[in-house]
Amino acid sequence: MTSVQIEVFLQTLIAGLLLGGLYALIGLGMTLIMGVMKIINLAHGELMMVAMYIAYWMFVLFHIDPYLSIFIATPILFLIGIALQKFLINPVLKVESILPENQVILTVGIGMVLANLATLFFKSDYRSTPVDYATNAFYLSDFWKTSPIELSLSVPWTVSFVFAVIITISLWFFLAKTDTGKSIRATAQDTDAALLMGVNVKLMRVVTFGIGAGLVGAAGCLFLPIYYLFPSLGGQFTLIAFVITILGGLGSTIGAIIGGLILGVFESMTATYVGMGWAPVGRFVIFVVCLIFLPGGVASILKRKRLGK
Amino acid sequence: MKRLSLVMVFCFLAGLFTTPLFAADNFELSIPLPLTGGQAKFGEMEKKSYEIAAEEINAAGGIKGKKVVLSFEDSQGKPEISRAIAEKLIDVKKQPLIVGDYSSSSSKAIAAVAEERKTPYLVVTGAADDITQQNYKYVFRLNPSTAYYSSGLMSFMNEVVKPKTIAILYESSDFGTSGAKDMETQAAKVGMKVLVSEKYEKGAVDFKPILSKVKAAQPDVIYMVSYVMDASLLMKQIKELRIDTKLFAGGAAGFAIPEFIDNAKDAAEYVVTSSLWCTMATYPGAKEYGEKYKKLYGDFPSYHGAEAYSALYIVKDVLTRAKSWTPEDIRTAMKATDMMTAFGPIKFEDRDGYQNQNFMDTLVLQVINGEHHCIWPEKYASKKYMYPIPKWRDRK
Repeated sequence: MTSVQIEVFLQTLIAGLLLGGLYALIGLGMTLIMGVMKIINLAHGELMMVAMYIAYWMFVLFHIDPYLSIFIATPILFLIGIALQKFLINPVLKVESILPENQVILTVGIGMVLANLATLFFKSDYRSTPVDYATNAFYLSDFWKTSPIELSLSVPWTVSFVFAVIITISLWFFLAKTDTGKSIRATAQDTDAALLMGVNVKLMRVVTFGIGAGLVGAAGCLFLPIYYLFPSLGGQFTLIAFVITILGGLGSTIGAIIGGLILGVFESMTATYVGMGWAPVGRFVIFVVCLIFLPGGVASILKRKRLGK
Repeated sequence: MKRLSLVMVFCFLAGLFTTPLFAADNFELSIPLPLTGGQAKFGEMEKKSYEIAAEEINAAGGIKGKKVVLSFEDSQGKPEISRAIAEKLIDVKKQPLIVGDYSSSSSKAIAAVAEERKTPYLVVTGAADDITQQNYKYVFRLNPSTAYYSSGLMSFMNEVVKPKTIAILYESSDFGTSGAKDMETQAAKVGMKVLVSEKYEKGAVDFKPILSKVKAAQPDVIYMVSYVMDASLLMKQIKELRIDTKLFAGGAAGFAIPEFIDNAKDAAEYVVTSSLWCTMATYPGAKEYGEKYKKLYGDFPSYHGAEAYSALYIVKDVLTRAKSWTPEDIRTAMKATDMMTAFGPIKFEDRDGYQNQNFMDTLVLQVINGEHHCIWPEKYASKKYMYPIPKWRDRK
């Protein structure tokens, strides 16, 4: 490989990892909800859109940096998530119906309502927050003068990635070390057993939906400085979260993180070496291949390894 | 019986007096436009522009002393309705010429009727090439056809930049694909080599992989066909990767509107884009019209509005020169048109397979100090072009 080819490869890899880290955060929320409630939340992308509008208006009205809005948008989204679960999804869960998936259909409806409300209130205009550091970047040649190749690392992308990692680690800490976190994991593993052990399953469901919504809310704030915003943006991110959830192995948090990174790198590699128009196709290829050859997702590989020891 | 004849006489007299009275003062012109439906946004903009022009013309004494009275017929953007409107205007209202409508298909429908009835028709915005390629004698077009949209940018590149290689990035839609195809044929014509030609899905988050590939190919020019948000993201990420080329060029649309600069900020600097018209153009009256429109309706008009505004001035010019206001004399006068408007110079010529087509230079805009300026053709430039553009590393 010549140095030019190495440069293209490394730059693509960097782009893929940064994108993958953000994808993982979007996927985490959906995975968590999937694990505990066994339903796919198809309003996931729309919740992200809501958080982005919150961060956008914070920036426009009060000049609050989108990254600081994480601490505003995430709690709001947490409350919205709790409200959705308590007043809309739980009542539907109770109803016996012909369709066992009617909660999923309900989330589709919630998503549509949110997208249309956003169109109604904010019009279908594209918006973005023109932050000052939007195009700043670190360059390899600035640190290493005689470097044969030039690599760049965008400031907002890197900051977003670091935030995503911090949030992911805190989530892991929460799930592994706190009582509430352990209860959530217990509910995800076996609802009936958890119920018998005295876990308040109903409360855990509500809290989990809140956390899932909060996570995707944080992801929204991280996306705002590097992307833009419009009411119907939710769909494409719901799709990405869905693919990651499947890839990660329905409900596994570590699976979702690895799944997000795989998807990010795969998409970037497809864009460079096949063609950018093929990226959405690549997404579906991964999805289908995973369903056929690895129905348990990344989680099943992890499990096999652990049992093998 | 007596009463009936009295009434008839009265009617006759009333007719005798009133018609010439009104006719002496007013010139009535009905303009077909899509005022409802998907194209209504542009129909409305053109309607407002015609009205601004009519007001100005009337304030300056009208056409040969007659006041211009406009009325609008809603064609809904449907060619069959446009056709019916044209038939009504010619056969019933006896209007000696027809002006207007928006889409290419509607303009085509009206052109066929006008040619058949031997009534001159001035096409204002329909851009499909073949409207003025059918050997019609009575159809005139003031706007350049699609094949000439990028002619300004091409001449700027050939005369100033002289690139040998080009990379094309475009959105995977009809608009993006046709824009990219057009550039590929143009590039082939002047011997430019297309190194990369890649499409992307609208709304993509990360262009860096594809841009790294472009960077490795080291093209002289990067040409992009995108809507505004993709355009801003592309330029931002080009800045991040420090891709240095001789020229960054955009194919109108997303690159030519102020939102592009608002979003891409300093990454938008020095980017050039082709455009049919802009308020910065130094055509006489262009700026005044743009500002008047903005004052009345809050936004700057796009080139569609300027075309409509200028169309009425062409009508004024033609009717002033015409020997009589019959279709035949108006056609003769129209053919001899050679004037300057807010949209640019107007002259109807027969060449390159076109008849009665106005061949004008399309403009090239460049972002200089955070504002779009008209830089090409040089005689209409509002500012000298910035070339060569500095490397990213050297920009502050």
